[in-house]
Amino acid sequence: MTRQASSRGVYLAEVAANERLCSDHFVLRLPVEGFPPSQPGQFVQLQCRRPVEREGVRVADWPEGRPPQLTQPELTGIEPLLRRPFSLAGHSQSGQTAELEIIYRAVGTGTRWLATVSAGDYLSVLGPLGNGFGVSDHKPLAVLVGGGVGIPPLLYQAERLSAAGKQTVALLGAGRADLLPVRTTGDVPAEPEPTGCVPRLAEIGVGSVIATDDGSVGFAGFVGETFERLLDAGEWPADQLVVYSCGPEAMMRAVGDLCVDRGVECRLAMERHMACGMGTCQSCIVKIRDDNPAGWSYKLCCTDGPVFDAADIVWK
Amino acid sequence: MSVDIAGLKLANPMMTASGTCGYSTEYADFVDLRRLGAFVTKSITREPRAGNDYSRVVETRAGMLNAIGLANIGLDAFLAEKVPQLEKLGAPVFVNVAGTSVDDYVAVAEQLEQVPVVRGIELNISCPNVKAGGLQFGTDPEQVRHVTAAVRGACRRNVLIVKLSPNVTDIAATAAAAVEAGADALSLINTFTAMAIDVEKRRPVLANATGGLSGPAIRPVAVYMVHRVYTQVTRDANVPIIGIGGIQYARDALEFILAGATGLAVGTALFADPTCLHSIPEGLADYCRRHGFRRLTELVGSLQTA
Ligand SMILES: Cc1cc2nc3c(=O)[nH]c(=O)nc-3n(C[C@H](O)[C@H](O)[C@H](O)COP(=O)(O)OP(=O)(O)OC[C@H]3O[C@@H](n4cnc5c(N)ncnc54)[C@H](O)[C@@H]3O)c2cc1C
Ligand SMILES: Cc1cc2nc3c(=O)[nH]c(=O)nc-3n(C[C@H](O)[C@H](O)[C@H](O)COP(=O)(O)O)c2cc1C
Ligand code: FES
Repeated sequence: MTRQASSRGVYLAEVAANERLCSDHFVLRLPVEGFPPSQPGQFVQLQCRRPVEREGVRVADWPEGRPPQLTQPELTGIEPLLRRPFSLAGHSQSGQTAELEIIYRAVGTGTRWLATVSAGDYLSVLGPLGNGFGVSDHKPLAVLVGGGVGIPPLLYQAERLSAAGKQTVALLGAGRADLLPVRTTGDVPAEPEPTGCVPRLAEIGVGSVIATDDGSVGFAGFVGETFERLLDAGEWPADQLVVYSCGPEAMMRAVGDLCVDRGVECRLAMERHMACGMGTCQSCIVKIRDDNPAGWSYKLCCTDGPVFDAADIVWK
Repeated sequence: MSVDIAGLKLANPMMTASGTCGYSTEYADFVDLRRLGAFVTKSITREPRAGNDYSRVVETRAGMLNAIGLANIGLDAFLAEKVPQLEKLGAPVFVNVAGTSVDDYVAVAEQLEQVPVVRGIELNISCPNVKAGGLQFGTDPEQVRHVTAAVRGACRRNVLIVKLSPNVTDIAATAAAAVEAGADALSLINTFTAMAIDVEKRRPVLANATGGLSGPAIRPVAVYMVHRVYTQVTRDANVPIIGIGGIQYARDALEFILAGATGLAVGTALFADPTCLHSIPEGLADYCRRHGFRRLTELVGSLQTA
């Protein structure tokens, strides 16, 4: 199908690589021809099963005069019907082809299936979807606060911030060392001091702090604590700063509340169970402050978000 | 490929199922909406509705449950914001209407008479996810008759489609009531009331506790219901059926057509791949070519049962 440049759509990609990153996380590289420009914070919906067209089982093509073969897609197992949303962890462009990077954690039916995919297999990619983090025009400083599987979109955002000349630091947390979805150098300090311990970020001039709940690498404690210490230390003044965060909801809430308290601009990438990702099913609601009588209204995580201003979110 | 729905000629049988395609142009980047036989909107109610709490959907085997709770922007916002977009869509529009009283339905239908781009109304008397109204209208043949007759009076220009619930003992009874009260067409089916339980938490997965089951899992039941209504009610009354329930591929659509459906609507499958709105009609055309049918309508209800 010919498609206008820069249009969202459904694309077929031949997997370039799908490699284990740590005990639960994998990195998937997808070259996608004609994929439009994207923003960090945007996501794609991946079909966690083989694209049907490739199998030749669109059974309007029942062979003439023969009974239906065992090619009914619903009989090919219990692969998920609905797509699964994944943030873009990177997007580089060579000519017409976008190389998308996705870092995912194998947690359930779909992501475990994804972990079995090999280079050369085909995947159906729908996107790009959602609004993205954006980059503040005036504030020169940026802090990234990421937890676990929320870290991938921040890696992409770090590139944008660095390219825009923002002074950036990344505070990255995980339950334990082998759940960290980024590679680190051998010498991660136990103090929450930014260093070049994440080579991928160091290369673009972004220092990192690593925290784990059990102290198996880096600072022993929550990543939210390292953020509070950073603010308290005073080198990152509230009015110069934008915080971009993604991770478990409890973490984002703590980070968001602290920012609202201290008058720091803060953008959170929220996660919701999504059926469509395109704004049609109304499943992915987030409660957002509104000046209507109720004081709030529902916005859709997939199209109004996933990035929302922390000050606008009405938490449970 | 063209089909006739109560005198309204559609270029092909393909429609969107209400609630799975937004209000207007949500899928415009993914598919060419002009190629639709008709566009069916999300349910509209007289007043806006916020809908149910999170979480509203969960995937189940070969299907999903939803309990959106008819969240919608309400009639006024629909007329002001969405109708101008629908005017540019390039396909006939059917507006799905929901309500909690007969007055609600009639009031919305009256207003939609004044909107030229709207060519028909689909009465949602079968939503399982709202506490009042919705399903209760759809399960009792007397209520079906009552609400259909009332809206019939308000639908002078618009085609009147009644969308039936599968949550009944005999769908032919509610179908007959709708046809006798003046429905121009029937669409079936809506979702099955169902439940999914998080066994670790020992709680329902959905905030609303119950939800509506849709997707491939319901297709065999939907095909059966279309066949039953076709043979018992609509064939003789010459009322077209719009077949809905688990359609994902052209072969699925063919089952509905052979069972007696004239039109087709795709719901859950749009979430997985909106481009099925193109691939299904292409597959149907291909099937007709291979089997030597000149018109798709020759196939309607042509199931051989003997
Ligand atoms: C915008 C966005 C971006 C994301 N980015 C990433 C990313 O970059 N990397 C990544 O690894 N993940 C990401 N996720 C999360 C990812 O989409 C999920 O991990 C994935 O969908 C899980 O699919 P699965 O089939 O493996 O798991 P499933 O088998 O579907 O379920 C996983 C878990 O969720 C539970 N669950 C499923 N549905 C519901 C429901 N309705 N209510 C309550 N619980 C439910 C299941 O019981 C199970 O415990 C993102 C999600 C969103 C919304
Ligand atoms: C998320 C979701 C929302 C729906 N909302 C509506 C609605 O507002 N009004 C309505 O009449 N039907 C609604 N339906 C039912 C569908 O229109 C359709 O009848 C049903 O899903 C079966 O078709 P399918 O298996 O192709 O999805 C909804 C279905 C889903 C999955
Ligand atoms: S996921 Fe369907 S509306 Fe957001």
